[in-house]
Amino acid sequence: MKARLAILMCIAAIAASGRALAHHSFAAEFDENKPVKLTGTVTKVEWTNPHIWFFMDVKNPDGTVSNWGLEMASPNNLLRAGWKRDSMKVGDVVTVEARQARDGSHNANAQTVMLTSTGQRLFAGSPVQPAQ
Amino acid sequence: MRIYQITAWRGGMFALALVFAAHSTAVAQWLSLPLPGTPRTADGKPNLSAPAPRTADGKPDHSGIWRLNTSRHNPNANLLPKGTEAPMLPWAAELYKRRVATHGYDRPMTVCLPHGVPDGLTSPYGFKLVQTPNLVVHLYEEFTMHRQIHTDGRPLPVDPNPQYYGYSIGRWEGETLVVETAGFKEGSWLDNDGHPHTEALRTTERFRRINFGSMEVDVTIDDPKAYSRPWTAETMRLVLQPDTELLEHLCENNRDLERLQQIWQDRQPAAPPTTGRQ
Repeated sequence: MKARLAILMCIAAIAASGRALAHHSFAAEFDENKPVKLTGTVTKVEWTNPHIWFFMDVKNPDGTVSNWGLEMASPNNLLRAGWKRDSMKVGDVVTVEARQARDGSHNANAQTVMLTSTGQRLFAGSPVQPAQ
Repeated sequence: MRIYQITAWRGGMFALALVFAAHSTAVAQWLSLPLPGTPRTADGKPNLSAPAPRTADGKPDHSGIWRLNTSRHNPNANLLPKGTEAPMLPWAAELYKRRVATHGYDRPMTVCLPHGVPDGLTSPYGFKLVQTPNLVVHLYEEFTMHRQIHTDGRPLPVDPNPQYYGYSIGRWEGETLVVETAGFKEGSWLDNDGHPHTEALRTTERFRRINFGSMEVDVTIDDPKAYSRPWTAETMRLVLQPDTELLEHLCENNRDLERLQQIWQDRQPAAPPTTGRQ
């Protein structure tokens, strides 16, 4: 019982630390139970408040390509965590762990962002922190 | 089995500590900007347990950048501890229940409206408090908003123009700055979970700077049109963010709004009101 509680608290803490950075309700827009892991090429970065959005082309199993929108925290959060606005550039190949939007669209809230070329994990302003 | 449980418990607590440590570290890593007037330990780090500073006239100086010591999205998302209920009138209880059930999708911040009082104190972005002899100013980083607290002895206006942050006056009671606010506009939520209020709201905030690095705030809510009696929130504990500065934060690219409305309109034909109960 205690073990289960400890694990639950841990999950709650991880979730809470991510939601703290959102200006809107995380749970209203994204589904904690819809984890997605995406690898693809960055096509656009919007370094803007209240949230950074970036877009990436991801190859589907059938060979087609979908453009996903990924939400992160705000530039303020990422600047304070050591990001610069050019930490991730158009053309970079990244692997993202995210939670998909409740409406099932190709939009998600990024929780970890890893530069595939170097293996460097970038803080996404969401649940899991970077291992820098 | 017991050993496993204890190990798992400790492991969980360790992970929990790591998450919070990483979170606060992440926020503390902003530009190194050694501010004069900051007491320091021998290694040059800000000494957060040093005594609270004082102004020339001997009053506690509350100036600094402050942030809630916990995320407002954890159980402290609410002004009250878990398991405690505010004395809501039936309409307020119904609206509050609906806001919780819909994950706060229509909270004012979604459309970049202000947090209001006292929710502004709990924004994860924090706020800069500037104390002058006759005026205390709060500069809220989120949405770049401000609030004025007049400490020049004036009374509250009799018929103030309604505002999201109301109209505030403050006076010193010993070490405590007591701030009374009236003249609120409807629409803000008292906390992240959505306790509502009307224009009849009056708040009393009691600010006490415990030491250089910490401040406590007790808030009393008095709104006879929404609550059957005045009630006091759980003490808010603010921590100083040393050697840093505010950044600009504006709602320039709010991509969430349309999707949130789309998701919740499908599930709930009649959008819940955020205002309009007198």
